[in-house]
This record gives sequence, structure tokens and C-alpha cells, in this order.
Amino acid sequence: MATTAQRSVFARYRNIIFAVILFIVADALVIGINFYGTFKANESAVSINLSGRQRMLSQRTTKVLLFVMYYQANNDEAGIERTLKELDLVVNLFDTTLKGFRDGDTVTGGDGKKVFLTQVDTDLSRKIVDDAYIIWNPYLDRLRPLLGNNRNFTQAHLEAAVSYARDKNLDVLRLMNDLTSDLEMVANNRANTLRWVLVFGFFVALGNFIYTVVFSMRNLIASDTELAAAREETVEILSTVREGLFLLDKERKVGSQFSSSLPQILRREINPGADFMAILQGIVEQKVFAAADDYIELLLGDRVKEALVTSLNPLTNVRISVQSQGGSVQENYLSFAFNRVLEQGKISHLLVTVQDVTEQVVLAQQLEQSKNQAKKEVEALLQLLNNDFGTLQQFISNVGLALAKINEELSLAQDAERNKDRQHTINTILRVVHGVKGEAAALGVDTLEAYAHQCELDMIAMREGGEEITGKHMVRISVLLEGFYERYSSLADIVEHFGRGFSGQDGAVANPVSAAGAAPQTNPIVDQITSLAQRIAKDQNKQVEVSCLLENLQTLPPKVASDLQGISIQLVRNALVHGIETPAERAARQKPETGVVCVWCEYLGNRNYDFIVRDDGRGIVVDRLRESLVNSGHLSREDAARLSDQEIAGRIFRPGISTAEIANRDAGHGIGLDIVLEKVNSINGRLLVKSRPDRFTEFHIHFSVAA
Amino acid sequence: MSNVTEKDIRSFVDAVSGYFYQISEEQAEINAAFLVEGEISATTFDLTGYITLSGNFSGRVYFSAPRVMVTRLLLIMGEADRSEERLLDAVGEIANTIAGNARKHFGENMEISVPVTAATEHDWLQSVVSPRSYVILVKWKQYKASVVVDIQRTR
Repeated sequence: MATTAQRSVFARYRNIIFAVILFIVADALVIGINFYGTFKANESAVSINLSGRQRMLSQRTTKVLLFVMYYQANNDEAGIERTLKELDLVVNLFDTTLKGFRDGDTVTGGDGKKVFLTQVDTDLSRKIVDDAYIIWNPYLDRLRPLLGNNRNFTQAHLEAAVSYARDKNLDVLRLMNDLTSDLEMVANNRANTLRWVLVFGFFVALGNFIYTVVFSMRNLIASDTELAAAREETVEILSTVREGLFLLDKERKVGSQFSSSLPQILRREINPGADFMAILQGIVEQKVFAAADDYIELLLGDRVKEALVTSLNPLTNVRISVQSQGGSVQENYLSFAFNRVLEQGKISHLLVTVQDVTEQVVLAQQLEQSKNQAKKEVEALLQLLNNDFGTLQQFISNVGLALAKINEELSLAQDAERNKDRQHTINTILRVVHGVKGEAAALGVDTLEAYAHQCELDMIAMREGGEEITGKHMVRISVLLEGFYERYSSLADIVEHFGRGFSGQDGAVANPVSAAGAAPQTNPIVDQITSLAQRIAKDQNKQVEVSCLLENLQTLPPKVASDLQGISIQLVRNALVHGIETPAERAARQKPETGVVCVWCEYLGNRNYDFIVRDDGRGIVVDRLRESLVNSGHLSREDAARLSDQEIAGRIFRPGISTAEIANRDAGHGIGLDIVLEKVNSINGRLLVKSRPDRFTEFHIHFSVAA
Repeated sequence: MSNVTEKDIRSFVDAVSGYFYQISEEQAEINAAFLVEGEISATTFDLTGYITLSGNFSGRVYFSAPRVMVTRLLLIMGEADRSEERLLDAVGEIANTIAGNARKHFGENMEISVPVTAATEHDWLQSVVSPRSYVILVKWKQYKASVVVDIQRTR
């Protein structure tokens, strides 16, 4: 990967690298040529200087010869000696210099120092030098007697030399002039060449510079454009993408760029460099946060493979709670996906993708709810199938009436001016709900029984919460009522469907179970009471046998029969919870382990009836009732002590009184006997309660039916 | 009406209550709450304003008040103009306050229409609301008004 990166960098900057190399090579070449040219110019300067000196020396030789002749004529020995010495010098200089021009040699320069004189290298110069030697060699032969310390010359030697000098002086001067001119021309040519090289070098450098600048600029502009386009693309992607995208560094900080949807998804402002863990901590549960912390730690480390830990991601479909401006807490579901970002094989960042999956999760939940609902409906249907259809219709009708009654009570509460009035409303509604609960329990309609129980608990909490009952409580009850209606409607639909499915053509309804011949025809009320008693007995770890004689109920007006049915449900429930003891207790009291509950309706003649519910349990435990009255605030301890057992027992019908140690769906809320009393009043009955400790409790209702 | 919580309903009622308190320093108290069902109908008064919700919930929230109550409100506000138009405006303002509170309570996933107002007959609400809509009667001074919540959670 590194090699690829390097190759890519080289490919990207190849032209600039070539341009820089070309620039260096061209510069080196120009500098080299320049250096060589300068060296050659120096040589040319020496040559020109010395060729000029040759002109001077040719004239000076002639002049010295003439002075020798002059001093010879005047017998001036000193003059002769001085001029002959000068002749030695100038002839030697001229000769060695000329030799230097011909062969290249070290000669004495103009300043007396030794310099190297390069051999002339043009054809013309070489010819001039050769021509000069043609004149100089005979000239030197004639001068030789005059030269050196052991000179021995005659007048004839002198005259011959002077004569030759006079004769060839101008020729030598012309030749040396020509040499100088030629050398100057060579020097000029070299200077010109050097100039052209410099100009060429300059233009090469300039071209190179322009190329580099233009290319670089073009590349820079192209690169900037590409970068801007890439940035624009990135910005477009980040501003368009619906997912929250960002990079998380090893310090768990959010990167400088992130998708614009991220703050919206996380429901908070996000700044570059923000601490992701702090953000996470603010929106998820502590347990999820701790798991996410570990998971991110795993991903940022290189010990485990990413694919192996993906399934451990605790931030998939995670629930987040965000407080809205209004203070309400909104719940959403987010999914965070983490992918490692590698740089040179090492983990540098995590790419985090966040999606708001609320809709999917809610849909999945709704699907699950629907499945559960369907399952419950099937279960409810199966439970309902155990009941007589007429009973079911009656039940649905009763529940509908009960709910309408609750709603009526709620609407009437608008005229309640005082807390006490609203307390009364709640108690009335509680009685209705408890009645529905009892009936639902008797029919085994668990969903409705459970909801009624939940409503009871909520309303008891309102009643006993110590707060004044206000309209706000009424809103809460109306919401509970709506929930009741919701469940009731589902059941009513099932029963209606059930009725359609099993209705005969003449409209008569047959019990499907009975129709199939699977069970004998029985009294539905008896069945309800028996199954309710057995269910409660099972819940309470008790054993019971229910004996019912209720045929007379079928001859009673429906309203009365319905009220008695309600009464029997509440009293049997009470008998099982409060009266019948556990098998161990009964055994300890020398009683059969299985308790007995009897319910019967007896016609006394003349439209008079007795309705009796009796159990062979522990009877009314007055002490426990007294304690309960004190604990619930209905009586002071002093009053409770002062009242007789009979007076205490008489208070069992007051709302909110219960002797059950633990409140559950079957007892403990002090509502059941309240309903019994209400229903007895409703049928204009007279209620008598008999009880003997450890022996029995009997509720005896005497009533008459109008003609 | 499923999935509407007590808090949801309270957010509408609190808006009304807060509005009256702001004007008169006397809150409108909840007097009763019940459902439109069977013989129990939605209580309609002379002037009604409503908002329409869509998004996570769909449906309408109505505020209906007697003319005398709104007139009294304008009187406290020092309004000289107590024409029918101005009375309807005042009802619209209360409906708008309900909308504002709903926006705060439900967040951005709730779309809320501008308030619509109308002078209404006594059985108007009954004819337009769904069965089992919530009726919350509020009492301010000696007057009663109704907040009717007819909304359904859509997701």
C-alpha cells in the first residue's frame, strides 16, 4: 500500500520532477560552458596581450639595434653594453613568445610572471606564426652574434642585423598585428559563443521556469478544482444523506465533517471534535452505554477482527430518550454501525453510520403487538368458547352498560363541587369496575379481568393517595375508561363474530361446544361460579367444593338475576379469599381439607325468595376487621375498642375495608361487599349476615319480585 | 383514540388553563373528563376553534366556549371591540395556544394546522367528532368551556 502511495505521488508530480531535473542539468551545462568560456577568455586575453607585446617587441628590437649602432659610432661602451642587454631581453621575450604561440608553452607575462601561452589554433594564426618564423629565424641568426654574455660581433654583424631589421621590421610588425587581430577575432568569437550559450541557457531556464510555473499552476488549479469538486461532492453527500455519518477518532471525538442529518438524528447540537461518549451517555441507558464503551474499545484495538464483533454491537435498534422543549420525553430508536478505517494497515478511525430506525422498530413492535393481540384474541376466543353464548352476550351487554355507567358518572362529576363528591364518583366507578372484574373472572376472560384489576389499583391509589380528587384525576379515569372500551370492543367483536358463525338460519344461537356434543348442557351461572371458585382456590392454594342450586334464577326477571349473579360472584370470591382456610389450617382445626361453598336460591312462595351464599371457613374474624378499620383510618383505636363485635362486623360493607393481608386481583381492595350491598339495595332486598368463628359465614338475602 | 395518553390530553388542557391564567391570573380548572359515547355527547358551546393535527397523531383538538365567557375574557383584556369577529379571534387565539403547546409536547414529528374558528350550534361537535373522543370540561370563573380531543396515534 505504501509503494502504491509513493508511486501515485511520483506519477502525480512526474512532470514537475522532470522540469526540476532539466533545470538543474541546463544550469550545470550553462555554468560549465560559462566556466570553460571564461577559462578560454582568460587564455585569449593572455594571447592577445602577448601578441600585442610581440608587436612592441619587434619595434623595440629594431630600436635597440639602431641604438647599438649609434653607441658604436660614438664609442659609448656603456650605452652599447646597456642596449645589448636590452636586446637580449627583448629578443628572448619575442622568441619564447613566438615559440609559445606555435607550440604552447610557459612564457614570461607582461607583469614578469610566468603564464601559459596556448598554442594558436586557427589556420590563419598558425600561418601567421609560420610566416613570422620565416622572417624571424634569419633575423635571429643575424642577431645571435649580438646576444649573450660571450657576444662577439663585428660591425658587419651589426650592420647585417640592422639592415635585416630595417628590411623586415614592418613585415614582422604586420604579422604580429595580424596575429593580434586574429586572436582578438577568436576571442570575440568565443565571447559571442559564450554570450549565445548564456542567452540559450537563459532561454532554456526561462522556458523551464515558464513550463514549471504554467504546469504547476495548471496542476495546482486542476488539483484545486478537483479538490473543490471533491469537497463539494463530500458536502453534497453529507448534506443529502439521510443517515448520520461521521468519523470517530481514537480519542472518541467526532470528526470535523459529519452529515447534516446527524444533529437531527441525535436530537442535539453536534460540534466538530465533540465527545461522542458524552453524547451517547446523554441519550442511552447506562447499561447500554457501558456495553457500547467496551464495543468501541474492541473496534479501536486491533486484536479482534471487525466481522467477528459486529454481532456484539449494543447500539443496534437502541432506544434513546430525548426531552422535547415542552418537557415531554420522546423515545426514538437508533442504529449505530461502526466500520474501521485503516491507514497504512493501522486503524485510524471508525466510520460511524447512524440511522433513525424508529419507524421500523415501531412497525416491528406493532407487528409483534398485533401478533400478541391476535394470540390473545384466539386465547380469549377459546376461553369464550367454554361459555354459553347467551351468557357471553349477557356479559358483553353488562360490560357495555357498566362502561356507559362509568362514563355517565364521569360526565356527572362536572356538577361535583367538593372533593367528597369526587370521592363518591370514584367509589361508584370502582364498584362498577369491580363488578366487571368479577364477571370477567367468572367467565375466564383474563384480558378484561386483568385490565379491570389494573384500573382498580389506579383508582384506589387516587382515592388513598392523600391528594384531593380533582379534575385531573377525572382525566386519568377517562383515559382508563378508553382503555376499557378498547378491550371491550375487541371482545364484543369476537362475540359478535362468534354469534354470526354459530347462529342457525332461524337466528337461534347454539353453544358450539354443546352442539358438538362434547359437553352436557349445564347451568351457565353454576359453571361460572364453579370455575371462578376453583381458579381462586388454585391461586390461594386451597381446596374447595362448590355446591349450587340456582335453577330459580332462570325464573327471575333478568335484572334481578343479573344482580344476584354479580352478588354470588363477589360473595364466592370473598368466601374463597377470607373464609375457606388452607388445607393445613383446616386439618389443624379438625376440618376436612376441602372447604365447601354453597350458593342457592330458594323460592319461598308469594314472590318471595332467599338467596344464600355460605362457606364453612373461619367466619368473620372480628379482631382482624377491627384492626383493619383502625389501620385504614375508618375508626380511631378508641372507637374500635369501644364498638361491639356486631357493630364492627356491620362495617364490612363499607368501601375500602378489607381484612386480606395482601391485596391481589381477588381481594384486598374493600370493594366487593360494597358492590354486594349496592346490588342488594338495587333489588330492594334485605341482607342478613351470620357467622361463627371457625365454622361458617352466611350471607342471607331476602327479596321479593314484583308481579 | 388508542394510544393517547393522559399527558397528551393534559398538554392541550394545560394550554387552555395557562392562557386563562395569563390573561386573568385565574386558571381554568378541569371540571370533568369523559368520553363521547352512547348518550354522552361532546359539549358544544357558542364559539368553537380547532386545530388539525397530522404526523404521529391525526385528528382534531377543539376548544368550545360560551359567548359570555369569551366576552368576559375580552373585557379583562381591556378590549373595547367585542364584536362576533373579535370573539372568534379570541377563540382562535386559544386554539393557537393549544397548537403551540402541542408542538412543544409532541415535538417536530407533529404537523399542526392554523386554527379554524366558527360560531357553533349546541350539537355541532357531536356531529363532527369520532366516538370515544375525550371531552374535558374546564371551568373559569362561573363559566364552563370544553376541550375535545379527537386524535388517533398513527404510528
